[in-house]
Amino acid sequence: MSSKTSAKDLVLDPIFNNNPIALQILGICSALAVTTKLSTSLTMSFAVIAVTACSSAAVSLIKDRIPSSIRIIVQMTIIASFVILVDQVLKAYAFQLSKELSVFVGLIITNCIVMGRAEGFAMKNSVSDSFFDGIGNGLGYSIILMVVGFFRELFGSGTLFGFTVFTKQSAGGWYEPNGLMLLSPSAFFIIGIFIWVLRTWKPEQVEEA
Amino acid sequence: MPLNKDSLPNTFLVATVLCLFCAFVVSAASVTLRPLQLENAQKDRRNNILQVSGFTPEEIEESGGIKKVFESRFDVEIIDLDTGQDAEADCQAAMNKAKDKEVNLGEEYDQLWASKLNPDKGLSEKLDKKTDVCGIKSREKFSEVFIMKSSAGEPELYVFPVRGNGLWSLMQGYLAVKPDFQTVVGLTFYQQAETPGLGGEVQNPDWKALWKDKKIYDDGEVKLAVIKGNKAGNAYGVDALSGATITSNGVTNMIDFWMGDKGFGPYINEMKKQDSSQIKTEAAGGNNVK
Repeated sequence: MSSKTSAKDLVLDPIFNNNPIALQILGICSALAVTTKLSTSLTMSFAVIAVTACSSAAVSLIKDRIPSSIRIIVQMTIIASFVILVDQVLKAYAFQLSKELSVFVGLIITNCIVMGRAEGFAMKNSVSDSFFDGIGNGLGYSIILMVVGFFRELFGSGTLFGFTVFTKQSAGGWYEPNGLMLLSPSAFFIIGIFIWVLRTWKPEQVEEA
Repeated sequence: MPLNKDSLPNTFLVATVLCLFCAFVVSAASVTLRPLQLENAQKDRRNNILQVSGFTPEEIEESGGIKKVFESRFDVEIIDLDTGQDAEADCQAAMNKAKDKEVNLGEEYDQLWASKLNPDKGLSEKLDKKTDVCGIKSREKFSEVFIMKSSAGEPELYVFPVRGNGLWSLMQGYLAVKPDFQTVVGLTFYQQAETPGLGGEVQNPDWKALWKDKKIYDDGEVKLAVIKGNKAGNAYGVDALSGATITSNGVTNMIDFWMGDKGFGPYINEMKKQDSSQIKTEAAGGNNVK
């Protein structure tokens, strides 16, 4: 990537053109785990955006000092610190949500997107570029989370952000919730369909067989 | 660059400085945010106690919030689970010793934490396989009991903290019973990580509503259980959750343990004794006047 890339491109490019989940197939595990509800998806999205942006910027800031022999562990340390910060802040200011997200905030550390951007982009680019790249990739991750969360909550529980959209049969309505949507495999299907739609729209993303 | 960044000294320097810096940032955040987090956790537990006692969120809101309602309506007692006696002083002493400082019991006594301590500290005891039906391995010595009082000071209901293992997780919750220690008012979980949609349905309000007015004891034995294919009108059975046998069994075992001799059984006996002696003295007093 040339250093001339504008901040706007850095932020917008990973959303559809170079989406970390849909094109690079990174960060799938947490995308399965937290998307049964939109509210948890949204919180997780903010957490990942914050961690990716801040850790990329921090890695970029000290990239000239990081010895190459320990660069991965240095990146991990920085990422882990930001993840703990985010986790602590959530516990203090959004207790209910942090309870629902439980271990998955902590597991942002193992999210390949964060690590991938630190190693693949921030080590070679300026602080501000790395920051925007982090935001962009966080957003790319978020859009998938929100789409998956939307369908899983709507069809699995008949609600959106906790508000009833389809009244369930058990509550006297007509909708029989789809139990599969509440289980992780359904996220695979939705991500698969998302990738299919995206690659039909942008055929250049199709890999050569 | 003057300094070779791949040199051994620089490697050590970067590693050390980074570790110190990150450790400082993380601990600073943890220390400054801790009071808020504790307050949140307490508020959440109190909210659960209020809801299991039948308060709706609207009622709590109207009466001035969780803290106010809880503090005006509930008494917190700390009891010795083995004897069933009030044991606030003992618990205070053991806690001060364990933490090596003057502890504020109301805010700092964490039963789950206490149960996992070494039994030497006098706050917990190991459970053997036979008694440990709900898989918690060790149990705290002292437990909180929350008592809701009427405006006249009469106990209206008792809320017991209970916990037990489900399929994936330790389910922690509250069981509210009437002062006859026989009729359930409600059961709720404030912490569980069962499969969403299956075992996670322990949190479903419709399922929780099934617990209301169920009976616990039959001839001194805990009979209340979660039953597959429960017959309508069975006062001792709650319908099992479909697709969640292990979670359902976990709930049954939890009730069995905590209402039994190793749980709140001694306390309940103690309370019943006091109750009956009170009635006797009142009756005797009545006779005197006559």
